[in-house]
Amino acid sequence: MSGVESAGGARRAPGWRAWALLAPLLAWLLLFIVIPTGILFVYSFCERDELGRVVYTFTGESYARVFDPIYLRIFGWSVGYAALTTAICIVVGFPVAYQIGRARDPWRHRLLLLMMVPFWTSFLIRTYAWITILKQEGLLNAVWQALVPGHGPLDLLYTPTAVMIGLVYAYLPFMILPIYGSVEKLDPALIEAAHDLGAGQLRVFSAVIIPLTLPGIAAGTLLVFVPSIAMFAITDLMGGARVPLIGNVIQNQFMQARDWPFGAALGMVFMALFAVVYWVLGRWREREEAAG
Amino acid sequence: MEGPSSTRWRIAAGPGLFRLALGSWTGVVLAFLYLPVLVLVAYSFNASRLAVVWEGFTFGWYREVWGHTPLLQAARNSLVIAVVTTVVAVVLGTAGAWLLHRYRFRGAGAIETLVAIPMVMPEILMGISLLVLFATAGMPLGFTTVIVGHVTFSFPFVLVAVRARLRGLDPALEEAALDLGATPLQAFWLVIVPCLRPAIVAGALMAFTLSWDELIVTFFTANAASATLPLRVFGMAKVGLNPMLNALSAIFIVATVAFVAFSAYLKRLAR
Amino acid sequence: MNTPTLSRCLLGAVLALSAPAAVRAAGVLNLFGWSEYVPQTVIDAFTKETGIKVNFETYSSNEELISKLVAGGGRYDLVQPSDYAAEVMIRQKLLAPLDATKLGHRKNLLPEFQKRPHDPEDKYTVPYMSGTVGIVVNTEKVKTAVKSYREVFQPAFKNRIVVLNDNREIVTWALYTLGLPINKIPKENLAKVRPIIAEWVKLVKVFDSDSPKTALLNGDVDLGVVWSGEAAILWNQHKKFQYTIPAEGAHQYIDVLAIPTGAKNQAEAHQFINFILRPEVSKMISAAFPYTNPNGAARKLLTAAELANPASYPKGGKIETFRDIGKTAADIDRLVTDLKSAK
Repeated sequence: MSGVESAGGARRAPGWRAWALLAPLLAWLLLFIVIPTGILFVYSFCERDELGRVVYTFTGESYARVFDPIYLRIFGWSVGYAALTTAICIVVGFPVAYQIGRARDPWRHRLLLLMMVPFWTSFLIRTYAWITILKQEGLLNAVWQALVPGHGPLDLLYTPTAVMIGLVYAYLPFMILPIYGSVEKLDPALIEAAHDLGAGQLRVFSAVIIPLTLPGIAAGTLLVFVPSIAMFAITDLMGGARVPLIGNVIQNQFMQARDWPFGAALGMVFMALFAVVYWVLGRWREREEAAG
Repeated sequence: MEGPSSTRWRIAAGPGLFRLALGSWTGVVLAFLYLPVLVLVAYSFNASRLAVVWEGFTFGWYREVWGHTPLLQAARNSLVIAVVTTVVAVVLGTAGAWLLHRYRFRGAGAIETLVAIPMVMPEILMGISLLVLFATAGMPLGFTTVIVGHVTFSFPFVLVAVRARLRGLDPALEEAALDLGATPLQAFWLVIVPCLRPAIVAGALMAFTLSWDELIVTFFTANAASATLPLRVFGMAKVGLNPMLNALSAIFIVATVAFVAFSAYLKRLAR
Repeated sequence: MNTPTLSRCLLGAVLALSAPAAVRAAGVLNLFGWSEYVPQTVIDAFTKETGIKVNFETYSSNEELISKLVAGGGRYDLVQPSDYAAEVMIRQKLLAPLDATKLGHRKNLLPEFQKRPHDPEDKYTVPYMSGTVGIVVNTEKVKTAVKSYREVFQPAFKNRIVVLNDNREIVTWALYTLGLPINKIPKENLAKVRPIIAEWVKLVKVFDSDSPKTALLNGDVDLGVVWSGEAAILWNQHKKFQYTIPAEGAHQYIDVLAIPTGAKNQAEAHQFINFILRPEVSKMISAAFPYTNPNGAARKLLTAAELANPASYPKGGKIETFRDIGKTAADIDRLVTDLKSAK
């Protein structure tokens, strides 16, 4: 996979100018990511007093509670939903991204904009529109019962199916856009060459197109999977809030339960888990790129 | 890039059936994306106050939106915040992606992990921790604090998208530019950025969308003057989402499409 | 993007950003209240009469209010907590005492809403609106009488029930069915209600605290335990939605107005409270939101239709307000989360 992929060795050692250019990013990271995380870190070791205030005593009690089977189970569900959403988004979104990427110039931007415009309405209004569509006396059931008379209405709303529809709907653009960014630069000559060499459509797809757009797919996976683990608004609105996810639980600790230290601890463990996995994957990819 | 290469694309994309399938699938997905939009626009003409029951056709909500100052103000705030957020996020994300790609910084792994943290941090944690930070620093809440929060959770998306495209970029491009006498900055601005444009556009669209609809972080970092649309909208659910909001959304969609159509028209005139 | 528009947007943004922070001018009121609880007409009328500009920020739960106050410090002049949240805030010394001499219209309030446990001397708070949590039934779908929590949570109604997404409420209802106190909840009592709630959770179709009326209006559920405000709106929409106070007992909430300590515009805040207490103003609030109005003088001005709403003005029943339960809130959250996530 050389040639088109940039080789790791072409990267230079940074001079002081490069560090200076990186400084704004570093400053932003420090001020608005590191320090807030630090604040949460401090909270996670604190205690909650009778009135719900944070008391600055040092205790690992919150962390012990994080590893309760209840929360591990909930975390598992959250990851499961996120994984399924990501998988569906890849399957549904890749063809669309490919289509937009290879479209001619005016259409390319029009399609992009056309795709994003629905998301510039308000989230709540959109979700309530979905509720109107999926409810028992709603549009979908009206069509369904017209097509299949005699069958009762579909019980879609407030089920995991509705939640999946909502999640895929919400995250699809975040899969399509990065893949589009990768597809757009795909050189048609390569595909032509593959065809010339006698490869069938499917072979061209799996052996040429997918590997070349892999960075885009990987980016899309990251941008869908990771945020969707902490997502809870859609399960609340379209799933009837029947299945608590990790996002709900953390939210609750700052809201109803008024247990900030526990919420912070849950958050820290959650983020630490992610950070470790992400860092390991990053190192693995570095080694792959250097070798390849 | 029209002409020969687009012809090659048509050939390269394979037999007509494949192209037809691709086009139809895109159509299906777009229909899926627009289904709730059509419903919400339809209900903006609903005479019933409770948006879930249909009671008759009316333009009344559009009239009411036009006179509802707090809602329009909130919409204006959302727009301003989203635009500024997008610009800052694009600058931060693109520059960051490029620097991390081109140079082997020490601690790059840690930097990239930190960049990814806002994507995974639950919004309530980000909101409260930012508020505590601002309060401790004595910084009053307002547009600045909201934009800081919005940029923080959206610039990683830009960075990841641009980085993905950089991964497939031919290093020879920059080398060639430098060989031809360009400074690294010129090479970046005149050669690399145009190549990155689709990814930057993708990132900008994501950042704008994220900022536009964000609720929780905004709640903790905004004041009355900088209240955004989601803040105003969310509480309205308690008494039933007012169809005014449907009307507002419909107006915004029409305005966006009109804006785009108009600028495309201008571009064609300029040609 | 079109360059001129973009630069104009940026210019506007820069100007907005460089505007000075809100100055403590006389004639400003920073109100932090529930969204959709203070009608815009009332705010406009207040500004018109007094010239005081109202900066209205909103939240959708008591905990959001407390979180933002605790994390960010008080820049607000007037807040609108519920009774138990006010109690917490009083004990944390987050509220300033009121000046009774500036609140002449206070006498309009009905006695049953004064000197409540959260503020026994009425020193810090003034009741704004009240309500209960009770049973609402779509009488076209449900033909049997449903007058108690037990009658709601029956296998016959499986998957046709909506309840509030509030863990403390659910535990409270279960405690009521066992006749246990709702404001002192030792661990044994939590253990006793656990099996009850476990059964209940399996029967519920929707948990929704923001707009439970949606599911009822859509016909996706037939009955539920919801805020009286929601039930009142339902009843106004269609009389088939009947509201009752559960026989075992019900939670009554009183939302109050209070002034945070360190508020800069306390005089204006008092003016606003006194303005709200006027019967004709209170009537405007009732007209916009059909909650229970604690203002006796205002009630005399209400229409017969408004007073007849069984959810706004329920007849009788054993009702109690919430008190703060401290750390038990965390235990309750854990219990209900556990039961909800069990498959």
